[in-house]
Amino acid sequence: MTLELKEVGKKISNQWIVEHLSMTIADNECLALVGPSGCGKSTTLRLIAGLDPVSSGTIHINDRDVTELSPAKRSVGMVFQSYALLPHLTVIENLELGLRVRGVPQRERRGKIRQVLGLVQLLDRADSRPAELSGGQRQRVALARALLRQPEVYLLDEPMSNLDAQLREDIRPELRRLILEQSKPTIYVTHDQHEAMAMAQRIAVLHQGRIEQIDTPYNLYHNPCSLFVARFIGRPQINCLKDEAGDICAVRPEAIHFSDSGLSCTVQSREWLGNSQLLFLETPRGLIRMMASPDQVIPESARLTWSSDDEMFFSAETGCRLSR
Amino acid sequence: MKPGRIVIVILLIWSLGPLAWQLYTSFCTDQALVMPFASHDQRWTLAHYQSVLTSNPPFTRYLFNSLFAGVLSTILTLLLAIPAGYCLSKLGKRSALVIKCLLIGCALFPYVLLFLALLEIARFLQLGNSLIALAIPYAALSQPLAVLLLASAFSDLPSELEDAARVEGLTILQRFRWILLPLISPAIASTAILVFLFSWNEYPIALTWISDSDKLTLPVAMARIAGSSIHSVPYGPYAAATVIGSIPLILLVMIFQKPIVSGLTTGAVKG
Repeated sequence: MTLELKEVGKKISNQWIVEHLSMTIADNECLALVGPSGCGKSTTLRLIAGLDPVSSGTIHINDRDVTELSPAKRSVGMVFQSYALLPHLTVIENLELGLRVRGVPQRERRGKIRQVLGLVQLLDRADSRPAELSGGQRQRVALARALLRQPEVYLLDEPMSNLDAQLREDIRPELRRLILEQSKPTIYVTHDQHEAMAMAQRIAVLHQGRIEQIDTPYNLYHNPCSLFVARFIGRPQINCLKDEAGDICAVRPEAIHFSDSGLSCTVQSREWLGNSQLLFLETPRGLIRMMASPDQVIPESARLTWSSDDEMFFSAETGCRLSR
Repeated sequence: MKPGRIVIVILLIWSLGPLAWQLYTSFCTDQALVMPFASHDQRWTLAHYQSVLTSNPPFTRYLFNSLFAGVLSTILTLLLAIPAGYCLSKLGKRSALVIKCLLIGCALFPYVLLFLALLEIARFLQLGNSLIALAIPYAALSQPLAVLLLASAFSDLPSELEDAARVEGLTILQRFRWILLPLISPAIASTAILVFLFSWNEYPIALTWISDSDKLTLPVAMARIAGSSIHSVPYGPYAAATVIGSIPLILLVMIFQKPIVSGLTTGAVKG
């Protein structure tokens, strides 16, 4: 079973919000869509769900063309950023609504709901209203609703962006387990690259409505195809230096180390990150970020160097990767 | 006492004083009314209420007429304004603005100017002397305001609620039944009260379209009581009529108060 997008585009009043989107997501694969805000992540998800009509291209689910079908007929399970739970209904009633309109007999409904609530560990909150639940619990109810749909495709629109950082980290493994157990194609939209790397086998980086690169987290980090991807993926951000040819030479902060010879520098400031420290160094070629071990002693007259294997070159005009 | 409270007390006396006076008048004998400080054998009486309720046709008849026209016009208004408000809230910004301006223009238009044209239409359709005929223009005149109120209620709902329901497979009617109507019920209640109040109080159309004394609405019937004698003004019966006429309104607000207030406090969807 697969989800396939072919040259999908969406135009609103003469402006392309997303353009030339093509991707194939296999069964049991979670693809993360990342990008800065306004890059078209949520729009893409809405196109796949059928909430908005596409302007061009086709969408296939299991080799069936669903481009013209209504959301109800596409069999997608979606989790919204705001969870979209009905405030006037209890958890059970929220979950039951979809089953009821899809014609599941009453006796079956309760059994299915109990099973799913067990899965997301919310059996004891079945009769609460959304307002009485915590953010994490609401998020799990929203997920339970998507699971109950037994969809062919899962779409998650920033499902954790309303949770605090601690809770996000706690829920991540649970969410991964639940999603992977379903062995269905999953698209996970997020603006948090750590979340994307943690959740997904592949990541698509979107930039101004186009896919900049679609690859494994490892390749995105070590082999970005453009300056945008190199800058977007990886924290602290990659160092971008002008080289003699006028191109941009990019080096990851952890590839840089002190040595006896090389670029002279002075320490401007440093950030403690616990297991490491981030140094901001003034050099003749500009400010350089360097990751160092926490017990790193800064030499008197410090000089910087890095291996030429760690250099990546990009065109200053187009931002494209140069093979050097 | 704090100055704020004093202001509130003054405002209450200002607005409730006339009502209290009306209530007092309705229970007062005519002599006591004219000479309030003299001593009287009989100061209090129910005679005014008796005369109003036993006249031919009895006053309850008018009450029922007004209730009928009011309920019917409210239902008609909501039947049209709810779908219209929904569509208006889904329109693009620019076209919605144009329509809203037109609606505000309609709402502000003095309807008395439409009056002769309406009368001609009613005559053409042979709708004179019928309460249904009153409900139709009432519903039409209330429509702009109702659509505006409901459209703003619809656009205050988070659109993700409906998106989620569409993904779940709910049809538009099912979304109305399970999501939209329950969530905007406070707005529906307050709109209904406004529409009902308008038709309850409306005078010029009711005066000219209805001549059959069995089918008069309250304002017209009251005016008839006030002008029933050329020698005196029947203050007592008139006061009694106004008191009876306001009871349904007080009940209405009391019944709908709870959903209106609860709608104001539990709007939180995200939390």
